[in-house]
Amino acid sequence: MTLLSVLGVISSAIFSGTSLLYTTLGEVITERSGIVNLGLEGVLLVSASTGFAVTSLTGNPYLGVLAAALAGGLMNMVLGYLVVTRNGNQLASGLALMFFGFGLSALIGKPYVGSRIKGLPRILLPGLSDLPRLYASLFKFDTLIYLAIPTAILLWWLLFRTRWGLGLRAVGESADTAFASGRNPRLIRYQALFVGGLLAGLGAAHLSIAYAMNWTEYMTAGRGFIAVALVIFSKWHPLRAIVGALLFSGAVAFQLLLQSSGVRISPFILDTIPYLLTLLVLIVWGGTRKHAAPASLGRVYHGTE
Amino acid sequence: MNKKQFSLLVAIVVTTAMVLTGCGPAATPTPVPPTATPVPPTATPVPPAATPTPTEPCLIIGALYGGPITDAGYNQAMHESVMAIKQNIACVQIIEAENVPDEAGAKTTMENMIAQGVRMIFATAFNHQNPAYELSQSHPDVIFEHAGGWMMGPNFANFFGEPPDAWYLMGVAAGKMTETNKMGFVAAFPLGWTLTFVNAFELGAQSVNPDVQTIVAFTFAWGDSAKEADATNSLINQGCDVITMHVDSPATVISAAESRGAYSIGFQSLAAQQFAPEYWISGTGYTLGGTLTWLASTVLDGTWEPIFLRCGMAEGCMVMAPFGPTVPQEVQDYVNQVKADLEADKITVFKGPIVDQDGNVQVAEGEVLTDDTMSAVDWFVEGVIGSPK
Amino acid sequence: MSRTAPIHPRFSVFWQRFLNGVILRYTLMVLLVLLLFGAILLISGRNPLQSYKDMLAFTLGSAYGFSEVLVAMTPMLITALAVALPSRLILINVGVEGQLYMGACFATWGALTFRDLPAWCLLPLMALLGMAGGALWAFIPGYLRALGIVNETITTLLLNSVAPKIVSFFIFGFWHSPMDTDKTANFVPAARLPTFFGTRVDLSLVIALVLLALFWWVMRYTRWGLEMRAIGGNPQAARRNGIPVSAYLVVIMCIGGAIAGLAGMAQVSGYYGLLLANFSRGTGYMGFLISWLSFGDPLGILLTSFVVAIIFTGGNLLQLTQGLPFAVINILLAFTLFVVLARPTFLKEKAS
Repeated sequence: MTLLSVLGVISSAIFSGTSLLYTTLGEVITERSGIVNLGLEGVLLVSASTGFAVTSLTGNPYLGVLAAALAGGLMNMVLGYLVVTRNGNQLASGLALMFFGFGLSALIGKPYVGSRIKGLPRILLPGLSDLPRLYASLFKFDTLIYLAIPTAILLWWLLFRTRWGLGLRAVGESADTAFASGRNPRLIRYQALFVGGLLAGLGAAHLSIAYAMNWTEYMTAGRGFIAVALVIFSKWHPLRAIVGALLFSGAVAFQLLLQSSGVRISPFILDTIPYLLTLLVLIVWGGTRKHAAPASLGRVYHGTE
Repeated sequence: MNKKQFSLLVAIVVTTAMVLTGCGPAATPTPVPPTATPVPPTATPVPPAATPTPTEPCLIIGALYGGPITDAGYNQAMHESVMAIKQNIACVQIIEAENVPDEAGAKTTMENMIAQGVRMIFATAFNHQNPAYELSQSHPDVIFEHAGGWMMGPNFANFFGEPPDAWYLMGVAAGKMTETNKMGFVAAFPLGWTLTFVNAFELGAQSVNPDVQTIVAFTFAWGDSAKEADATNSLINQGCDVITMHVDSPATVISAAESRGAYSIGFQSLAAQQFAPEYWISGTGYTLGGTLTWLASTVLDGTWEPIFLRCGMAEGCMVMAPFGPTVPQEVQDYVNQVKADLEADKITVFKGPIVDQDGNVQVAEGEVLTDDTMSAVDWFVEGVIGSPK
Repeated sequence: MSRTAPIHPRFSVFWQRFLNGVILRYTLMVLLVLLLFGAILLISGRNPLQSYKDMLAFTLGSAYGFSEVLVAMTPMLITALAVALPSRLILINVGVEGQLYMGACFATWGALTFRDLPAWCLLPLMALLGMAGGALWAFIPGYLRALGIVNETITTLLLNSVAPKIVSFFIFGFWHSPMDTDKTANFVPAARLPTFFGTRVDLSLVIALVLLALFWWVMRYTRWGLEMRAIGGNPQAARRNGIPVSAYLVVIMCIGGAIAGLAGMAQVSGYYGLLLANFSRGTGYMGFLISWLSFGDPLGILLTSFVVAIIFTGGNLLQLTQGLPFAVINILLAFTLFVVLARPTFLKEKAS
C-alpha cells in the first residue's frame, strides 16, 4: 500500500464519482420538489449516448457536454408531462421512462459505437507541475470535475438561500400549501425536473465523454439507481451528496486496490456496502417520519383545476 | 367473470392481428427476406450485402456476436472474419445479429435465423456455446461453428486462434518497454483461457526481464467501459506503465492508458491501435477470414466435418500489429526474431518447470501444457499479482 | 416518503369502465402507439408496415413464435402477481427484481447440491427454496414497514441493487469453474423444468396460471381476501375491527416475495438451465409496471403481460429483418406505457 496507491484511490474516487455526484445533485433537486425519478437510468443513457454522438460528429467535447445536458433536461420533461400535467403515478412513469431510455439510447448511439473521440481536455491541478508523470496524471482533472463541487455549493445556495429554492422546498413539503401561498406547484416542478435533468446529463456526459470515452448499450450500469440511493443517504442535501458520492465511488476504487494487493474479499460484497450503509442510515434516522424526506415526495398533485 | 366481455377483447386482439397479417394465421413461419444489414464498420473494405442477388444465394450464413460489431475489439474482429467469407465466395448471403444475449437468450436469434434459411451458423460469443449445441441437436441439417469452445457433435464444431503464443510475444515486447517493471492486465473473468493469456504474457516478459510483475484486475464483465476505466486507472495508480487486457473491446482500456501516458498493448482486433497514437507498443488480433472461408467452402461442397480447429500466427489466424512510434528499432528487431522463433516452434511457451504464485510446481521439468489443461488453468505463474479465482 | 393513496380500484370497477366505450379508446391508444413507434422506425430508415407485419406474423401467426411469446410472458406474469398481491394492502413491492434474484440463488444452491435426487423430488425442493429466498428478501422491507420505520418502496429499491451482487458473489465464489465465465455449470436434467411439445414453454406457465387463478379466488371468495381489502381500504378501521394489520403486512409482503422468488427459480430451472450473473434485465420492474397498469386485476395482468411479451418477442425478429438493435424495441414498450400513463380520466380514480 504505497503512497501512490492511496492517492490513486482518492484520484479514482474523484474521477468515477463525478458523474455520480452530478446525477445525485440533479435528483436532489427533483426530489426536493416532490418527484421521484426512477427513470434516471434511462435519462443517463440517453444523455450519454447523445453527448458521445455529438462529440463524435463535431469533434468538440464541450458541445457534446452541452448536448448531453440538454438531452437530460428533455428526458425529464417527458417525466414532467406524465407526472405533473397528466398526474400519472411517479414510480410507474419513472420506470416507463427508464425503458424508453434503454431503447432511445441504443438507437442514438448505434452508429457511434467504437468511435474514437477527443475527450474533455485535462488540466493539472495548479501548483503540481513538478511531479513525475505517474503522479501528475493522478491530478489532471477535466473541467467537469473541477466544476463538480462548486456546482454542489451553487445548488445548496439555490435551495436554501434563494426564493426559488424556498418555493421548491415548499412544493416538496406540501404542494397544496405552496399553492395557497401563491406559488405555481406545477411550474416549479417542471423547473426542478429540467434542472435535475441538466445535471443528470452532465453526469452522463462525464461518463461517456471524459471518463470512459466510449459508448456501449447499458453502459451506466445502474448508476441511476445508485443516485436515488445516494440522495437518501445524503438526506436530500447537496453538500452531503459530495461525501456520499466520494464514498460510493471510493468503495469501488478501494475494492480494485484490494484485488491487486492479493486480499481476497469478494468485490461483489464490497460493492453492496454503500447500499447497506444507506439502509442503515434510513433505519437509524427513520426515513419516513422524520424531517429528512420532503413530505409530499411521491404524491401526485392534483391542484384545483 | 363475464364471458362476453372477455371474448370481446379476445376478438379485438385476434381481428387486429389478422387484419395486419393480411390473412389467417399461418401454420409455418413465413421467411421474410432480410432488407438491410447492420451499418458496416468503417474499417472493412467489404461492401454491405444490402440487396439480395437476383439468383438464390448458394448458402445463407448466420453470425451472432455478443457485442457490437464496431467495438474495435473481439466482435469487430469476428465480424470482419465473417465478412471475408462474402469477399471470397460471392454467392453466400450473410445475416448478422449483434448484442445477442448470453445462454438461452441466444436461442431465439438462432431459431429466427434458421427460419430465414440460414444453414451455417457462426456463434462467436463464448456463452453461446450451450444454446448453439442444444440447437444443433434439434436442427441436424444446420452446421454450427462456435468460437473458442470445446464441445463437439455431428453438426457442431469449434474454431479459434491460438492466443498463448501471441501473448508470449506481447509479453516480450512489454518486458522490453516497461520502466517500472510493472505491467497491468485488465481482465473480464477468471476464465481458464484468460489466466493462460496472463501467464503467457508474464512468461514472455520474464524471458527478457526477470523482475517484471503483472498485476491483474478483473472487471467481471466482457464490456463494462466504466469498470474498465476504473481498473485501468487503478493499475496505473499502482505503478504499472504497460497496460493490456482481455475484455471484448480494448478501446476504453487503451484510451484510459493513453490519457495517463502509459503504454498499451492491444488485443482482439488491430483496429485498437487508433486509440493510442503515442503510447502504443504493439498488439495482436484475430484474422480468421481465411479459416472461416475455408469452413464455409467445405459446407458448400459437402465435405464439412466437425473438427476442433485451432490456428495461430504461423497460419495467419492471428496477426501482430504494427509497432507504435515510441518503440525503438532494437526492440522491434528482437520481437520480430522471437516471433520467427515461435512460428518455427523453437520456443514452447508452457514448457516446464513452471512455478505458480504460491510456489507450487504446476508444470514439471520436461512437461508441456496441452490445450485441454490450458483451458482449465486456475493458477497464476510466479510474478503475477492477483487472485486467480 | 409519504404513502401514496390507493391506486388500485376495486375489481369490478375495472370491468365497468371497460364496457363504457373504453374499447374505442383502447383501439385509439393502440393506433397512437403504433403510429409513434412507426415514426421512430421511419426516422431511422426502417419500414414500419413491414416491421409490424413481420412482428405479428411471427408472434401470432407461427407456432414457434407463439410459443416464444408464452416463454417471454411467463416470468412477467409471475412477477406481476408478486406485485399485485401486496398492492391489495397498498404495499408497493418494487423489490420483485431483487426477490427474483434471491429466489434464483437459493434454487441454484438446491440444484447444485442435490444433483442426485430424481426430478419429482428436486424440482419441488428447488421451488420451495426459491420461494424461501424471495420471501426472505421481502421480509426485511416488510418488517420495517410494519414497524413504521421505513417505507417499503425505498427499502425494496435498495435491496434490488444488492441482490444481483450477492448472486454474483456466489457464482464467482463457490459455483464457478475455470471453464465458466459469469455463470454456473449446467444444471442436471433432473433440475430442469419439463417443457412441452418441443418448445421452450415449460411448467412455469402452468404454475403461473394456477397462481393467477388462486389469487383471484382468494381475493374474491375467502376471508383473507376480505380482510385484505378492508386493510387496503382503511387500515385504521380494519385495525379497530380486530384485523391484525401488521401481521398481514409482513406475511403478504413475504408471500409476494415468495412468488417473485418462484419466478426466479423458474428462470434458472426452466429457461436457462443454469445461473447466469445479471440474468434479469428488468423483468421484475416490468412485472411491477404490468401489475400497476392492470390495477392488480388478474385478467388484466394476463392480457397486459401477453401484449408486452408480443412486443419483446417481435422485437427479436426485427433485429434480423430490419437490422434494428434489439434494445430499440423498448421504445415501443415505453410508448405503450406512456400512452396509458398519460390518460387521466381513465386512471385517476381515487389516486391522490
